[in-house]
Amino acid sequence: MDLLPSQEQLELSGLAAEFFAEQLPISRIRERRAEPAAITRASWAAAAELGLLGVSAAEDIGGLGLGPDDEVLLFREMGRQLVPGPFIASVLGARLAALAGDAGLARKIVAGDAIVGLAQRRAGVELAAGGPLTGQFDLFDASDSDYLLLVEPSGAGLVETAAVGDIRTVDCIDPGTRLAQVRADGAPVACWAPAAVVPLRLRGLALASAVLVGISQAVTELSVEHAKNRVQFGRPIGVNQAIKHACVDMAVSTEAALQQTLFGAISLRSGRPDAEFQVLAAKVVAGRAAIDNAAHCIQVHGGMGYTDEHNAHLYLKRAHVLDHFFCDSRMSLSALLAADPAQ
Amino acid sequence: MDLDFTAEQAEFREEVRTWLAENAPTEPRPHSWEGGMREYDLAWQRTQWEGGWAGIAWPQEYGGRGLATLQQLIWYEEYAKAGLPAIDSTFVGLNHAGPTLIARASEQQKAFHLPRILRGEDIWCQGFSEPGAGSDLAALSTRAEVDGDHFVVSGQKIWTSFAMLADYQELLVRTDRGGSKHHGITWLICDMRTPGIEVRPIETIEGGAEFCECFYDEVRIPMANIVGEQDGGWRVAMSTLSFERGTGYTASQVRLAAVVENLIELAKERTGPDGRRPAIADEEIAVRLATARAEVAALRAMTYAGICRNLRSATPGPEGSMLKLYFAEIAKRVATLAMDILGDDSLRATSRWGRPFGWTGNYLYSFSTSIGGGTSEIQRNIIGDRVLGLPR
Repeated sequence: MDLLPSQEQLELSGLAAEFFAEQLPISRIRERRAEPAAITRASWAAAAELGLLGVSAAEDIGGLGLGPDDEVLLFREMGRQLVPGPFIASVLGARLAALAGDAGLARKIVAGDAIVGLAQRRAGVELAAGGPLTGQFDLFDASDSDYLLLVEPSGAGLVETAAVGDIRTVDCIDPGTRLAQVRADGAPVACWAPAAVVPLRLRGLALASAVLVGISQAVTELSVEHAKNRVQFGRPIGVNQAIKHACVDMAVSTEAALQQTLFGAISLRSGRPDAEFQVLAAKVVAGRAAIDNAAHCIQVHGGMGYTDEHNAHLYLKRAHVLDHFFCDSRMSLSALLAADPAQ
Repeated sequence: MDLDFTAEQAEFREEVRTWLAENAPTEPRPHSWEGGMREYDLAWQRTQWEGGWAGIAWPQEYGGRGLATLQQLIWYEEYAKAGLPAIDSTFVGLNHAGPTLIARASEQQKAFHLPRILRGEDIWCQGFSEPGAGSDLAALSTRAEVDGDHFVVSGQKIWTSFAMLADYQELLVRTDRGGSKHHGITWLICDMRTPGIEVRPIETIEGGAEFCECFYDEVRIPMANIVGEQDGGWRVAMSTLSFERGTGYTASQVRLAAVVENLIELAKERTGPDGRRPAIADEEIAVRLATARAEVAALRAMTYAGICRNLRSATPGPEGSMLKLYFAEIAKRVATLAMDILGDDSLRATSRWGRPFGWTGNYLYSFSTSIGGGTSEIQRNIIGDRVLGLPR
């Protein structure tokens, strides 16, 4: 048993972290605020070239053939640096295409030549084997996408973005996420895999948890730095227990969320019978840690935390978006309570 | 990264499970210290030693098994699964005094005391806190004056669990009053049968009387009982506390997961606040139960990660305070949730040693989790200063 990342794993996520800092700094979110897509095709291609879309994909479709634990460490870095773009949907889309037998499409997605956005059902009948897709959907970062990934309790499928119908843009609370809505009426489903065969929702929840952990960590670091440097009444504010203890609670909930997310990812890789329990638990603690800590981060920063100029709100807003991916916190909680106990 | 246990570790687990099923005491543990608690606890410890299960992670030369903390974890997990009671009177010997002696004591001290702890011959208690030195432990003032080859100790200790049952005490005394308060403290092995020691029980909010205060009136303790250096006891004490806050809590963490599962069962059996449906159908209770499940899962993951860190470096660091803090918060929330599930029955006094498990006693006991072993506020100071590097 070893729950600590290996040197190799840390090197991979460290490399990605450098790439994000250089190519996709948080300032890019503000620069592209009015653009249709949150990330450029050029940045997407660069990320693909670095292998970031294929960490857990098989080598024969251009991936690195690593596990969900490696991928979770990478997505934590995305959270820490608030990287925009439909990375989760595309990574899952490639996995789905490969498992559904469309190696060509999987290869295109891993190479960055096809982008997959996320569709989440708002109303209508659940997708059945073979489709077609009907109902009302929220779309996340689908504006520049070729495909949409839909993950439902029954299974998951891919749909061509061009085939779903009239996509109407909606203002999203998060300036780093593009939100839209669509009413689909019989769009054909390209790849379909039942949940019993491909537990894609759990993979998605593990990745969302990882991003939430990264957000939680980043806002904790921001708060600790501010508590050390901001001087009031002649002393750094971090000497006060009201601030110090708030920072500590953020650090503890981040640590709990990180360890549970790693535990969940390893459970998925090794096929533990309680993998669903572990991943749902990760989503619950990571979602709460990210949202609560981002909120505390704003408070610790005082007036500055309430400004658009400071990054705290960007973390808070992204945390809310991620907390809705695949199932919101209420659904995660009720699924967790219904699951068999941990082994 | 992996969560797999080796074939050898799996076999170890199987051995533990089989042995516990065959050898665990079937008689209920006495609730009071006058009612044979000492005899019961020491007999069970001796049975464990005879079966080869005492001191799993202790060095072989002192009677332990010399295995890793991972095997110790497996023991705790199986122990909790078997529903066996926590034996808190042997806790100090096995989780504070023992590890401290292993780390800091002389060969002679180790050779005498460690096997006695493992064989179930001695109970230890902790003489750290004083009426004037609680969170500010280094302000302690119990005096030890040198007289020949003895110290003569006078003063008072408080919050000493099981002092009335104990044979020995980890005793912190003030041997030098000049200089800084962290200097001049000495860690002594105190024989509790020495003349001049008076132990008085203190009743707790739970109704238990394991808590004591100890009075020392010119108690003569041989200087040979110093552990570590004279005047250098603060560092020795801090290593003890790191153990307590680190792996020492593993057993409680593992047990808390079982408590949450039992609480879910309770919520299925009990009628909820609407007077019709089971408590688990109430949305608020369901959310709190699910949150508790998620949090004890994360607590376990943190415990596992802590053990993996320990396997890489021998001395526990301040991260143990994170575990203790998180544990205390969850334990208290879970205990409070039980009261809400019980509804009107939450007013009926029950004991956490009872069968069925007494949720109201457990609720009252839970208040100790964020106070004992250093309050949650002190843990937050330690984490803030030593892990996050915040200014003091």
